[in-house]
Amino acid sequence: MEPFVFFGGKGGVGKTTVSCAYGLRCARDGLRTLVVSTDPAHSVTDVFDQPFDDDPTPVEGVDGLEAMQLDPEEEVTRHLDDIRRDLSEQVSAAMVNEINRQLEMAHGTPGAYESALFDRFIEVMRNSEGYDRVVFDTAPSGSTLRLLGLPELLEGWIDRLMYKRRTSIDLFEKAAIGNNEPRRVMDGDPVLARLQERKEFFRFAGDTLGDDAAFFLVLNPDELSLNETKRSIADLEAKDLPVRGLVANKLTPKPDDDENGRGARYLRERVDTERAHLETIRETFGPPLVAEIGWRTAEVKGSLLEDVAGELDIETAVEPPTHV
Amino acid sequence: MDLADRIERFRETLEEWLRGLYHGMITHPAYEKIEKEAEDIEDVFLLACFPDAFGIPSPVSYYTAELLPYLETEFEAWERRLWDRDMLIERKGQQYHF
Repeated sequence: MEPFVFFGGKGGVGKTTVSCAYGLRCARDGLRTLVVSTDPAHSVTDVFDQPFDDDPTPVEGVDGLEAMQLDPEEEVTRHLDDIRRDLSEQVSAAMVNEINRQLEMAHGTPGAYESALFDRFIEVMRNSEGYDRVVFDTAPSGSTLRLLGLPELLEGWIDRLMYKRRTSIDLFEKAAIGNNEPRRVMDGDPVLARLQERKEFFRFAGDTLGDDAAFFLVLNPDELSLNETKRSIADLEAKDLPVRGLVANKLTPKPDDDENGRGARYLRERVDTERAHLETIRETFGPPLVAEIGWRTAEVKGSLLEDVAGELDIETAVEPPTHV
Repeated sequence: MDLADRIERFRETLEEWLRGLYHGMITHPAYEKIEKEAEDIEDVFLLACFPDAFGIPSPVSYYTAELLPYLETEFEAWERRLWDRDMLIERKGQQYHF
């Protein structure tokens, strides 16, 4: 299977648990594995009982497994700081304020977090030589996955910007009379160079996501989760990123047949509704149901995580990436 | 000064005048027109890069912000042109010398 595996889904369905369990499974099968989480709640830290930040850190007690946690807020700040540093090098003091205002506006627009995460995801994929498999635990909003479908659109946008920039520089060059220095020169234009860099970045992102990534959705057997999953499947499919499989998490355990107390009746009813939901998934949803994971009474970590990993019917064998 | 010299001087002056007239009436407005057109396209470029300056949120602002350090002169001129500009027709009208 592809070297990059994404787990998505509604908030609270257990994406982090499933991602960690799958990462663990890959590592147990001898793959050098990296788990990347964007969960602001830092649940990877809870699952492995160990702090992580945005550098890959080996998971204690598991050979070949590393994990990292990305914080969108930090990424946006870092991006802002990078540009500010360029700004102070390039721009005269009088203009800095003016441009700073524009800069802050750009980073306050909705979507800045998603863009920051998208950048980091692609960065991680680009620098993944040290790993056989990278597992992405995406942020609990549909927007992250939606963003993954955007490279083509963004590439087109950058293309149009480059075209406009080229046309105007070309005209400026033509408008320079005789030996006069034109106002802008095509050769070594830093703006065009930047745009070209971005374009290649989006090209890489589009190619890699299309050829080297597999998408899985985690869901719970309830109606809200089912509906959202259905939408996500359609969304991703529309972007040519087909969903490889569905993972049903938090299934209610069935009580023994001889039990008939209130608790047992409650559980039995729940199990029936859930079974109906699972049936709907099997019959009407395109992607296959690759795992059914029951509710655990304790937090899923340690040996429980190994159990969950065992219940995941997702292959771990890896093909080398085609674009890295 | 004999006649040949005087004719020569007259021709030089005439040529300078003609060249000046040609440049003032034909070439200069043409170059100016090209430059104005270049400015207009640059305005469109900047507007496409930073539509949020006008309250239009854009998914690419986050990426185009990276260009800001290199767009100092353009950005300043852009703002100035937008302040000066009352209407598009006036701007286009400036390009013709009646």
